[in-house]
Amino acid sequence: MDESKKRLVQRLIRRIPTKMLKTTLEKWGHLTGEQLRAMDSIQSKWALTESLLAICEENELAVKHLTELEMIYMIDNPDQGMWYAFQLTDPGDDAQSVDLMQFKEQFKSHLREIVRQVSVKIKKHTDEAVWIRIAWGDTYSRPDHLKPTYVVHYLQTPYVFVTRLNSKQKPILFQAMVLSTRYQYFKDANLSGRNLTAIRDLLMRKYQQVFPTKYPSPLTERKQTVTNPHVEREQAKPAANRLQMACEAFGGGTLPQLQSAVYKLETKFRDHTNTLMTEREEPFRCVVKFSSTNLLESLKNCASSGIASTPVTPLLSSIPLKGKNYFVITDNGPGPSSQRRQTQN
Amino acid sequence: MERHHNSVTVQRRSKTKSYRLSYRSGIGAASRLGFTPGLTARRLNTSRKAPKSNNITEKVTKEQLALLVKTEWKLSYVTPLYQFRHTQLKSYSRQLSAFIAAEKQQGLAVDVEGTQNRFRASFSLVQEMTESVDDAVTVLIQIHSKPLIARQDEPRRPVWSGWLTCINGNLEYLRSLPKDFICLPLFCSSEAGGLTSLVKSWFQQSFDCCFGPLEISHTSLQWLMALWTNCQPESSIRQLKMIWTLPVEPQLQVTYTVDAEDAWQLWSSVRKENTAGAGEENSIDIEEVMSFMQGLKGHFFRHFRLDLSAGRLNEVSTALGSAKHSGRIKFSNSKYMITTLMLLTECALLKMPI
Repeated sequence: MDESKKRLVQRLIRRIPTKMLKTTLEKWGHLTGEQLRAMDSIQSKWALTESLLAICEENELAVKHLTELEMIYMIDNPDQGMWYAFQLTDPGDDAQSVDLMQFKEQFKSHLREIVRQVSVKIKKHTDEAVWIRIAWGDTYSRPDHLKPTYVVHYLQTPYVFVTRLNSKQKPILFQAMVLSTRYQYFKDANLSGRNLTAIRDLLMRKYQQVFPTKYPSPLTERKQTVTNPHVEREQAKPAANRLQMACEAFGGGTLPQLQSAVYKLETKFRDHTNTLMTEREEPFRCVVKFSSTNLLESLKNCASSGIASTPVTPLLSSIPLKGKNYFVITDNGPGPSSQRRQTQN
Repeated sequence: MERHHNSVTVQRRSKTKSYRLSYRSGIGAASRLGFTPGLTARRLNTSRKAPKSNNITEKVTKEQLALLVKTEWKLSYVTPLYQFRHTQLKSYSRQLSAFIAAEKQQGLAVDVEGTQNRFRASFSLVQEMTESVDDAVTVLIQIHSKPLIARQDEPRRPVWSGWLTCINGNLEYLRSLPKDFICLPLFCSSEAGGLTSLVKSWFQQSFDCCFGPLEISHTSLQWLMALWTNCQPESSIRQLKMIWTLPVEPQLQVTYTVDAEDAWQLWSSVRKENTAGAGEENSIDIEEVMSFMQGLKGHFFRHFRLDLSAGRLNEVSTALGSAKHSGRIKFSNSKYMITTLMLLTECALLKMPI
């Protein structure tokens, strides 16, 4: 048997959790009912691998069938590894009319023009997303199916999400993407995260941004050991106010799950007690990274609890507003008097 | 060598300083319940010498140094050891090997000579790694082991190491100890299996001492930031990194990384004129450390309107080393190890329930 096929089967069985294997194999549709039942009764990963290899021989399934199995699993479980968002800009006149067939054909042929040894598989998912799996090779080697790049593109939109792409492959993908979508440029959207749905929702403004103006008494949830009506009345208003501002900045309801945000600060150091540093010409260089299991939720909580002053600084509210989580901050203008900051890419 | 606030009287005079409270919280309640008057009212020094490059590479053997700088150590404090002799290391090596074998084999007969023993402990001295004549010589303990099923000639591999040290321990305290006690208050151990607890119990049984966890307090972490940043002109710190956690749900972690040169510029801007000068009297004052911290926090607040003081400083690191609140330390550059160890020795002495 082909060694690469064997390794691909090993990899697939190792990656797919046993409890999900059955449904994934069913969706794949290359196994007979009897083979499915037989696979379902096996417990150990090693035995599963051996069994699937035997089935591949029996049903004459090739690498291309196995990559399809991988795609099915990947589409159902996309939250593995880091996803990076990109944006196509300057659409051509016919950009809106590119359909799936056209895109498929063009993308494959453009990519093959640049790299001879490449294996591309394109699949349309139910939610209008086109999933692309690229296994890269080079002049001397055949496509490596163990390290494929995954690209998710929403047709007729400028949004592209990519995972497992190395810097050598980047320009190649960009070129093929631009040519087959009829856009001019491809740029980094400065947004990344482990949860594909979350970064898609942020960038495409799909999540519910409810900005209610009135909240039913936010203090009822809090358990306070000592209740003093005067203290409560005194605190209720600022607390409600903070929550209001927190929601205005980050939105109500469930927030998209983002893991981190990075700010590269190259701004002047200003502190009225420290003239030496304030008079310094050069910016104070530092990098600040915020991380959490749900970053937007944490930041909202900072604002509503008072750890962050309200109104929330535009720097933090830019994350949901601009759909970005990587920022470079510089002082706008050379003079020390300028207070405005701008974000650059 | 200069000493600061070692006696109660000196300390009372400087009591007005507002940092006292935060020091107290860092020390823990235990140290205030002790008997030794010199130490009960003590707190962390408010001033310390600027680190100077200490070429211990010339004094300490290469193997020992490689071990000391490559590992992340877990810190504990140890009370003074009763009748510990630096001349008895060979015998201690045998005893500890036998002790480990006995504990591991639970009641089976043990060959005390250790020829068949799977674990072999060895004690050695780290000569010359001291700052004052009153410091006891640092003791290094290494444990080598063979896999359970091994050929006769297979060499033992190092599985655990640890060391006890005292760098620039408080003179007054060291001299007040009865004759039979050796003070090596700082215990650093690599973490592997249950060996750390076995070594600790052997020490407890043999030298009537006790161990306790040593966390690196908020103040000590800030001290380390300042001491390391102060080395920048001589030896690049590459960057100054702080990790904070903020108490919100879900927990927010802030990693604040400052460019090495800019960190140093900020540091030199808060140094006081009289102390910043070169020469013998180059000392660093706690107020300078606090201003440095305030500057960093202020710059952060100006951008994010988020108060880091509401959170906890968990970890600081530079190219010279890293320290964690949980009591873990890594020395990445042997040149400035002594300064860090002086601070940690002081912390260990303060934490001790004497």
